[in-house]
Amino acid sequence: MFQYYFLLGVRSLRRNPVLTALMVLILAVGVAASVSTLTILHVMSGDPIPHKSERLIVPRLDNGPTKGYTPGEREGDEMSYRDAMNLLASGQGDRRTAIRGVAGSIEPARKDLPVFTAEGLSPTRDFFAMFEVPFVQGGPWSEAEDKAGADVVVLSRKLAERLFGNANPVGQRVRMFGSDFAVVGVYGNWKPVPRYHRIIGGSGAFGDEDEFYIPFHSAVRHELPQNGNTSCASERAPGYQAFLDSECIWIQFWFELHSASDRPQLQSWLDAYAAEQRKLGRMQRAAPNDLFNVMEWLQEQKVVGKDSRLSAMLAFGFLLLCLVNTIGLLLAKFSVRAPEVGVRRALGASRKEIFTQFLIESAVVGLAGGILGLLLALGALALIGSISEQIAVTTKMDWVMLLVTFVMSVSAAMLAGLLPTWRACQVTPALQLKSQ
Amino acid sequence: MEIKPIFSALMRNKTGPILVAVQVALSLAILANALHIVSVRQAVAARPIGIANEEQVFTLSVRPLTQGGHEEQLATQRAQAAALRAVPGIVSAADINQIPLSGSGNYNGVASSREQVRSIASPTLYLTPDSLVKTWGLKLIEGRDFNAQDVPEIDAKTSKVFPSVVIVSKAIAEKVWPDAGSYVGKKLYFGTGAEAREVSVVGVVETLQTPGAAMGSEGEYSTMVPARITNSVRSTLYTLRAEPGQRDRAMKDAEQAIRKLHHGQVVVRSTTQSEERDKRYRADNALCWMLITVSVLLMVVTASGIVGMASLWVTQRRKQIGVRRALGARKIDILRYFVTENVMITTTGIVGGLLGALALNQLLVSKLELARLPAEYMLLGAAASWALGIAAVYGPAWRAASISPALATRSA
Repeated sequence: MFQYYFLLGVRSLRRNPVLTALMVLILAVGVAASVSTLTILHVMSGDPIPHKSERLIVPRLDNGPTKGYTPGEREGDEMSYRDAMNLLASGQGDRRTAIRGVAGSIEPARKDLPVFTAEGLSPTRDFFAMFEVPFVQGGPWSEAEDKAGADVVVLSRKLAERLFGNANPVGQRVRMFGSDFAVVGVYGNWKPVPRYHRIIGGSGAFGDEDEFYIPFHSAVRHELPQNGNTSCASERAPGYQAFLDSECIWIQFWFELHSASDRPQLQSWLDAYAAEQRKLGRMQRAAPNDLFNVMEWLQEQKVVGKDSRLSAMLAFGFLLLCLVNTIGLLLAKFSVRAPEVGVRRALGASRKEIFTQFLIESAVVGLAGGILGLLLALGALALIGSISEQIAVTTKMDWVMLLVTFVMSVSAAMLAGLLPTWRACQVTPALQLKSQ
Repeated sequence: MEIKPIFSALMRNKTGPILVAVQVALSLAILANALHIVSVRQAVAARPIGIANEEQVFTLSVRPLTQGGHEEQLATQRAQAAALRAVPGIVSAADINQIPLSGSGNYNGVASSREQVRSIASPTLYLTPDSLVKTWGLKLIEGRDFNAQDVPEIDAKTSKVFPSVVIVSKAIAEKVWPDAGSYVGKKLYFGTGAEAREVSVVGVVETLQTPGAAMGSEGEYSTMVPARITNSVRSTLYTLRAEPGQRDRAMKDAEQAIRKLHHGQVVVRSTTQSEERDKRYRADNALCWMLITVSVLLMVVTASGIVGMASLWVTQRRKQIGVRRALGARKIDILRYFVTENVMITTTGIVGGLLGALALNQLLVSKLELARLPAEYMLLGAAASWALGIAAVYGPAWRAASISPALATRSA
């Protein structure tokens, strides 16, 4: 019976072409507005590394001065060099990495290319395994190179192609920051959305791909300035060593736990560490020491912007309006069908049968609205994505949102169809037959 | 006069009118809030930076491959500035550490006395050995610009020297010294306590936005100190003003001049101030366009709802209209009936919509910290809804009025 009613519904689309077209269009526009804004929210609030997000942990200490401190305030979420080094040496968790930004000029060996600047990160070796950076050639630098701060570099595929064309760059040398760096690996196609590994201190959650990675200790050895946020709560002496020794915060730190249940252990270790530092005269604020897993970190950093939530809220208001509008149109469409209902009822169809038939007919309208809505939503997303590259990464529709589009459209149409359908069921067969 | 019969007719069949009223209410609630948000964002984007004729201004970022020591860097900076000033079409050039609206910059806590434990505000710090007042055409409302004696040469690697004078924006001056009428000669402290750096105010500029250009007066909390600094950053920024209409050409020539000076061993990048502005407000503009699109669609959908319903009623009441016409009602009476009926429904919707607008605004204020909705947007939205309602019903009402009494009554 479902199939038959479905076919009837499809056929009835052609019955009042103008009215039906209007209905489908309005539903489609409402669904498109909601789906496109929802897609952006969905991408922004997505889990970038689902199988591991519980085990990747950001620690946060407060090493600010007590002078003028009111409990609850913070200077920033980064970490000082001293703490980062201590945490690296702590042996806590399976893996640890300290990340900071670097930027500098690259002098290509090819004379036809001009000198250019590139931006990258300077992490410790565990970074690649922790965030599962996919290598297309070579691999991470060795443990020894990491410790020694050797002049080695991992390039993005884009940068590798720019410098070396199609040749295998592993083993080649790149002149950057005025020194020769040996290429040990090339990674390809790693663009997590959001860029959870470095939301703070850099270009944000939806910024550009990192162009290269060099060892953390190498950047320090070359005294490279930090590329990104640096917050200093108090004065410091001039010079690079003084900067490293200072309480300035500028490093992003990550732990990888063996299992999510190890978290309390890490927490107590961190508390003990802070207490020990307090004895040395540091961390006098005695603020709570926080741990965040990936999703908590995204939440803490407010990755989902207010504007995106505002757009989604208003778009849903608009969908509601479209729904009410559709109720009216369906009422009009079904009201002219009263004689037909009368005949069917007189021939023995129950109210339930009529109800099912008309509801399926509404669902067919919803399905048509969903198809058109999907096309409109894809168009709207392409339009929104054309604003900037940062926004473009959030306007990718996936299977979930595709499904959501149809579920939303069909359920909106069926919801809108409830009242008109109920009205249609109230038709008294005798009256209808008599008036014909 | 006619209201009572129309009202009782409406009460006999409530579903349609309720649907129309709900649509009007929903669209008004969203429309009033959307328009308000758009106008707030537009006002934010329209705020002046403080730079006169910003379409003539651009930034050059210069990063030589080798830096050399303190003396060499000083010489390089002077040579670069001289090369830039020699470019035809360049009116003025200044070495600078950061650019308004560019997003990234320096902010430092300030206090008005050494005794203060907490800083009053965190204004941004523009550092320049040249004159921003001249290059940017800033409006000095008090005091003087920096002169050559004000500019210390600082090696960031070894020296702890700090300049002794500062020019502040009016916004930060008013924040730090709320009761003072005049600011020149006042002492400002960067940092707090014993190690705070004391500088005296020599000038006040009317407006100068920060690199972040935050909303509210904080976006204009700016300070400028004179300094020539080495060993601090690897790339030097220059802000330049070109002659009117010469910017793009001057920008290319300036890049060339720097490349020539460094024999190609340099990375040069340039951005116009207009590009910085576009980038800063891109998200706001995108939101505005999204809200405007939704608002237009809202109006279209609501209007189509009114047209649809009114057409349905006209069809349903064909016979009655014919009878009324036959009994002496004029076309204008029929027209007036439908328009009055619509105004009654719309008004009900508007009342609901005004309440809805307040409720939605309350939600936005509490969840997204937006501004409160001023009454004029509600009035504007209400007026728009009325106009929309009347315009939408006019077509169907006119068709109703044109029904010929003879034809309409014959088939009965």
